[in-house]
Amino acid sequence: MGVFVFLPLVLPLTAWPVARLAEQHLHPRTATRLLTVLAAVLALCSTVCLGLVMVVGTAQLPGNPLPDGWSDPEVRAAVPYDEVVGKAAIPALCAVVVACARALWRHARVRRRAHRALAGLPGTEVAVLPDAVPYAYALPGGGRGGRRGRVVVTTALLDRLGPAERRALFAHERAHLAARHDRFLLAVQLAARANPFLRPLRTAVAYTAERWADEEAARAVGSRRTVARAIGTAALVSRGTPVPTLAGLAAPGPVPRRVAALLGPAPAVRTWPPAFTSVGLAAWGAAAGTAVSAMSSANSAVTMVLILRAATPL
Amino acid sequence: MADPRQRPRRGQGELEALVLSALREADGPATAGWVQERLGGDLAYTTVITILTRLLGKGAVTRERVGRSFAWTPASDQAGLAARKMRKVLDSESDREAVLASFVTGLDPDDERLLRDLLDQAHGEGED
Repeated sequence: MGVFVFLPLVLPLTAWPVARLAEQHLHPRTATRLLTVLAAVLALCSTVCLGLVMVVGTAQLPGNPLPDGWSDPEVRAAVPYDEVVGKAAIPALCAVVVACARALWRHARVRRRAHRALAGLPGTEVAVLPDAVPYAYALPGGGRGGRRGRVVVTTALLDRLGPAERRALFAHERAHLAARHDRFLLAVQLAARANPFLRPLRTAVAYTAERWADEEAARAVGSRRTVARAIGTAALVSRGTPVPTLAGLAAPGPVPRRVAALLGPAPAVRTWPPAFTSVGLAAWGAAAGTAVSAMSSANSAVTMVLILRAATPL
Repeated sequence: MADPRQRPRRGQGELEALVLSALREADGPATAGWVQERLGGDLAYTTVITILTRLLGKGAVTRERVGRSFAWTPASDQAGLAARKMRKVLDSESDREAVLASFVTGLDPDDERLLRDLLDQAHGEGED
């Protein structure tokens, strides 16, 4: 297996071009699904291989709980054993597990606390809160007790929007809830924790999920311009902190890009981008990278199991 | 709003909402005993005191000393209480993006300029 066990750790790089191009050239729904699947598969393969490297590394440590046969020189020659990498994989895998567990735990906590905050209100889908700070959120349902998803919006924001823009806002948030965008966002968040090379996919999915909801809202209210106006007005009255981006890369933030996209023509619905365009090639590149990653990790896992089973005295 | 039906267990938020709504039905300041009675003796006196004190900490009620006990007055309704709790959640959770998809994110000065230009352009081209 040799180098194959290390490939899935760096193959997420093949998804960078499509993460960059998908948001401009694909329908946001296609882009969200494609990027989430890529991120999930690549993260899984990368974690499997990290686990394999860790097993090999652990088998060489004195006093390890693994069978003695696993550290035999013959096994050592057959598996991709590298003293430094093997030992480094142990803390790396621990870090991945801790980071993912923390992300899941925080996810559950935010959802639970937000639902608890709304406990005293009537159980309508839309919760209007009297607050001087303008904001709007889609709070996903589920969790313990099977609570329904809710749209949370403050009076300060509603006061600044006209009737059509309010409808656009509600349609946007309902689209988040109906399509369960929280699951896509959680998946890419965990993937980015599992392999830092997947972070650009997380940023891209956070954006395409918003665009997806924007397009759904435009369809629901029948006007892309109204949705653009609602987003623009809401952004100008919100005093949120800007999303952290690398200073120096002076690309426009997500809100102006969303508004510009809505003022432009509606995106074409396609399940897969046409080949021989930049985004098509990028998508095929990412698909190939993901396939290689999956095959490498499967190959490595099978080989390792076979070797270790042969080396285990029964 | 005291609900005569017995429910197995009520969450903290629900109890707070119950006490607050009972307090709002009072004409002027009310004692904890009055609130307890109003809720149909469903809750222990000490529970009512505990919940009132918690509401006081959240700024949802105020109290003044009357003789040897306190008289309580609601400072806001349930929606106001929910709004304050939600703000607390939002302020304390920095890593909430995966759960709460915000309608908009903040703007830096360049974004704001660009956005105003885009909106002007949209208005200039007329309504659709």
